[in-house]
Amino acid sequence: MLSLKDIWIHYGMVAAVKDVSIDVAEGEIVTLIGANGAGKTTTLRAISGLHAPTRGDIVFRGKSISGMTPEQINALGIAMVPEGRRVFPYMTVMENLEMGAYLRTDRTQTRKTLEEIFHHFPVLRERNRQLAGTLSGGQQQMLAIGRALMSEPDLLLLDEPSLGLAPIMIQEIAKIISQLHALGRTIVLVEQNARLALRLAQHGYVMETGQIVLHGVAEELRHNEQVQKTYLGA
Amino acid sequence: MDIATLIQTISNSIVAGSVYAIIAVGLAMAFGVMKMANFAHGEFFMAGAYVVYVFYALFGWPFPAAVLMAIPIVGAMGVATERLIFLPTRGNVLAGFMATAGLAFILQVLVGQTWGVGLMRSVPTPYMGAADILGANIGWQRLLIIPTAFAMLGLLWFFLYHVKAGKALRACAQDPETARLQGIKINRMTMLAMAISGASAGLAGALMAPIHPVTPYMGHGVILTAFIVVILGGMESIAGAVLAAVLLGFIHTFVTTVSDAIVAQMVGVAFMAIVLVVRPQGLLGRVKA
Ligand SMILES: Nc1ncnc2c1ncn2[C@@H]1O[C@H](COP(=O)(O)OP(=O)(O)OP(=O)(O)O)[C@@H](O)[C@H]1O
Ligand SMILES: [Mg+2]
Repeated sequence: MLSLKDIWIHYGMVAAVKDVSIDVAEGEIVTLIGANGAGKTTTLRAISGLHAPTRGDIVFRGKSISGMTPEQINALGIAMVPEGRRVFPYMTVMENLEMGAYLRTDRTQTRKTLEEIFHHFPVLRERNRQLAGTLSGGQQQMLAIGRALMSEPDLLLLDEPSLGLAPIMIQEIAKIISQLHALGRTIVLVEQNARLALRLAQHGYVMETGQIVLHGVAEELRHNEQVQKTYLGA
Repeated sequence: MDIATLIQTISNSIVAGSVYAIIAVGLAMAFGVMKMANFAHGEFFMAGAYVVYVFYALFGWPFPAAVLMAIPIVGAMGVATERLIFLPTRGNVLAGFMATAGLAFILQVLVGQTWGVGLMRSVPTPYMGAADILGANIGWQRLLIIPTAFAMLGLLWFFLYHVKAGKALRACAQDPETARLQGIKINRMTMLAMAISGASAGLAGALMAPIHPVTPYMGHGVILTAFIVVILGGMESIAGAVLAAVLLGFIHTFVTTVSDAIVAQMVGVAFMAIVLVVRPQGLLGRVKA
């Protein structure tokens, strides 16, 4: 469904992502793990169109999307939950969700999506008139995921959904991600919490200083000695 | 100060506050979405006054029609400014400043060349007479500004909080990158913000044409006040701009009545300075995380 083909991404003269190739098949969760500054966010930003790759190609459903604007890429069916959640702080929960459905014109269908999201995240329904900036971190994360789901994306990009959350909230988010997977959604999950990520995903890529150093079936990566030592603290 | 003078001054304050509010809301809106200040905003105000001068005083159109013409004409100037100046200089605050300051001079010269400099363009007062409130005389022409301001601000509020495009505009002001991730076309939104911004400055100028000297340089005094209002209100806050406009309307009018306009400007700036010491983010400004 999505292929990154030998992409390079630069900030000025510095290469943050070097010759990275990633493949994502329909219906699976692919995780990208790695330490701080490895280039995970940069890679996701390239997929969503916020930062164009300098070399290489990004192909989504057989079509090259590198060089497209974020607006165009969203319209093709890719939604991102950015690092740090980035809810619109001075808009209500409801308005944030509405913005997620900005390009949709089918009112009854959108209404149905909203109901599904409220079903996943009952707290969003309870607090639908509250300003998003006044929600707790975990609630903001749920809102950010809900907002992304409002566009009914074919591909969901999640950038560190567990960051800064209490363990119980992390389990809650993990549950949602596996539910979304069960419903057939395709997800790219960026995580520093490798234990969690490799439990949820089918395939994993390990990134170090801008390069993919290891990739394979998530289950196998979990038992890989190098991964265990570096990322699972075993 | 006797009661008649007091009522007179209060009503003048409300009128001044209404005008400041219409002008400043446009400036705040453009700044909120683009994070760039338009230094030609005063010239948009001037352009609005000239639209009334041309259509009402020269062509003899009815006054309300001439005022309404100012909205699309100056709104279009706002859009042109966005396309020709803010879009190419996006993110470069200094270039935006230089280019819009340059635009201000160009518009002044252009208007001066076309309709003359120095001579005040005379716009006859369409609504003669005055309301008599407890001995105070308040001209209908001035009073008219108050409901117009209410209507304009009410419409804007409705648009921003109840219309999808208006909400998208707020989303862009709060986090442009994330707004783009929702499929909101940022280039459309900056155009829309500048259309509203130009239209509001144009409307203010149009309303003021019969009661304010119409000259190519009439934007000067306005831009200073507009910036004070926007900074005082909290840069991007529309509600803050309205509140600050009313406060400054009262300060300017009362100080001008008991002293003079120069002192009034000074007191206004001092007031802003004091507020900023206590609340650096402005009256209703938001503290950035
Ligand atoms: N806007 C920027 N300008 C310059 N360099 C940047 C910018 N954003 C990121 N970088 C650099 O690119 C590299 C990759 O950063 P990136 O944010 O993609 O890492 P990450 O894997 O997401 O890290 P983390 O787990 O801390 O979020 C880092 O060295 C970072 O300093
Ligand atoms: Mg990151």
